[in-house]
Amino acid sequence: MKKSLVAFLAGISIAALLAGGCANKEVVKKEEAVVPVVAAEKTDAAKRAEKAELAEQSRLAEQARLATQVKPAQNEVMSSDSPQASSAAAKNVFETVYFDFDKSDLRQDARDVLSKNAAVILKSMPRAKIQIAGHCDERGSAEYNLALGEHRAKSVQKYLTTLGVKTENLSVISYGKEKPAVNGNDEAAWAKNRRAEFAVVK
Amino acid sequence: MKILLLLILLFIVPPAVMYAQPGYIEVTAPGNRQLKLAVDSPHSLGLPPNNETAKLVSDIIAFDMNMSGVVNAEGRSQQVATGNLSLVDSDFVPWLNAGFDLLVRSEYSLKDEHLTIEFRLFDVINRKMITAKRYLGSAKDMRRFSHSFADEILRVITGEKGAFTTRIAYVSTQTGNKEIYVMDWDGHNPLPLTKNGSINLNPDFSPDGREIIFTSYKRGNPDLYRRALSNTAEVALSNRKGLNITGIWSPDGNKIALALSKDGDAEIYTLDRDGSHPIRLTTNPALDLYPAWSPDGKQLAFVSDRLGKPQIFVMNVDGSNVRRLTTSGNYNVNPRWSPKGDKIAYSRMTSAGFNIFTIATDGSSDTQLTVDGSNENPSWSADARFICFSSKRSSGNGVYVMRADGTGQTKVSQGKTLYFQPVWSAH
Repeated sequence: MKKSLVAFLAGISIAALLAGGCANKEVVKKEEAVVPVVAAEKTDAAKRAEKAELAEQSRLAEQARLATQVKPAQNEVMSSDSPQASSAAAKNVFETVYFDFDKSDLRQDARDVLSKNAAVILKSMPRAKIQIAGHCDERGSAEYNLALGEHRAKSVQKYLTTLGVKTENLSVISYGKEKPAVNGNDEAAWAKNRRAEFAVVK
Repeated sequence: MKILLLLILLFIVPPAVMYAQPGYIEVTAPGNRQLKLAVDSPHSLGLPPNNETAKLVSDIIAFDMNMSGVVNAEGRSQQVATGNLSLVDSDFVPWLNAGFDLLVRSEYSLKDEHLTIEFRLFDVINRKMITAKRYLGSAKDMRRFSHSFADEILRVITGEKGAFTTRIAYVSTQTGNKEIYVMDWDGHNPLPLTKNGSINLNPDFSPDGREIIFTSYKRGNPDLYRRALSNTAEVALSNRKGLNITGIWSPDGNKIALALSKDGDAEIYTLDRDGSHPIRLTTNPALDLYPAWSPDGKQLAFVSDRLGKPQIFVMNVDGSNVRRLTTSGNYNVNPRWSPKGDKIAYSRMTSAGFNIFTIATDGSSDTQLTVDGSNENPSWSADARFICFSSKRSSGNGVYVMRADGTGQTKVSQGKTLYFQPVWSAH
């Protein structure tokens, strides 16, 4: 049990490094896929610094993940090809992505999170069907937010595809502003509600 | 303070709309005084008078007529000793002395749930009957018959029948979930339609008022469903991949316009009434949704953020001749075309929330109608006299009705929960 967990952690770190390295190139706002080859352009020093930072990020993310994870579900979800992994347990494997008001383009923090999520998918559940749910804050019309939430989910889908996740394994749904993560009428609440969440659906 | 209020009113209601619209008969008593209508309590035939029934009838007609803004109506208790509908000259004297121009009298009998009710409208000044109607039905029809005679009074006075027997469908969270309900236009007889515990949105009536379409997540995806009001069976009309939202019936009932995202982002399509034969009308990388038919069925208004922020656009029903309608404000949504064809109501969002506006179809006369709280999803009554909308305001959240010029804003829904997306039936 412990051994497999350690092996998994090692695996996920490497995957995160690879995926993270790719994502980092997105700082220059390239819209399309960035293949690993591009990373070779970097100087060794820059690469080492980047790797150290990513390793730290991924370690922190892992800690956060383990802290929230439901224990019994862990192995099932991690071994991942199990088709019945409950979406509630699986949800915690992924981090939520956040957006700016009335925007569906991905901020740098969102790209970083998606790199981690992509790594989880590629390493642990390459064949899992994953649903990306787009959400909005309470401002704006309910109808427009349905379309905006879908646009957000599709931005995420597209980006995960550029990171190597199979597009046919990713579905999208929009809940507009119908399912807020938190209640509240201030920016703190709104910021938490403008999001894309992930769930393993089968 | 009063002056300030007056200034605000002058600002939001341009002088043009303060006068009767062309085509209406000018309804003013001598000296430009508003006509006064007395609605006498109905006389009970056979049985001892039932005060509750009596008050119900006069309250309904007085409420409808006051909302119309055409007359100043007042429910009164019986003042004619005879209780007969054939008034003699002396019967008019007390009404004349009390300052009334018009009088409604009625009598009813209720035996074993069989209701017979007859209404008469009298011209008090000229001491003559103007119109009369007799209805046969059951006890539960009392409200409907009273509304129906209010329609008739409005027809006699203005030349246009009222829409007081119509209904409003809406979304409410009273069960904790967004479910669809229908009520009389004045908020009475609320009736739940959906009970699926999921998210149900954007109802729209068929032109005959017997069916609704709406979007529901009950099977996971936001799909468009259709059901009769008299039946619980729900048929999936469009369950295409992605969004199937903001569906609206064409005025002739043969088509449904909606937003689908099956080909990418939300775009406007029309479907046949059975959900088949999608025809795509917009091809734009931006979001296009919330179509609204013109009453002749030849044009559609819709929301698009193709210029960055959501604005109202208009196009021909084949997708040609797209033009921007709203040019003020950063966030304009929820277009609904007046049944008279001359105006489009919509809601505009600012940092303070939403407010309802109307704009002429050529883009002129952009007029703010609400100022209090946050107000969304306008929908016209069939006679274009009223607009209903959802409101969150300090005087109470709910479905409100106002005249098309923004006056007479009145909460009609009776519950205490939140109300969304009201839509007014044509029948």
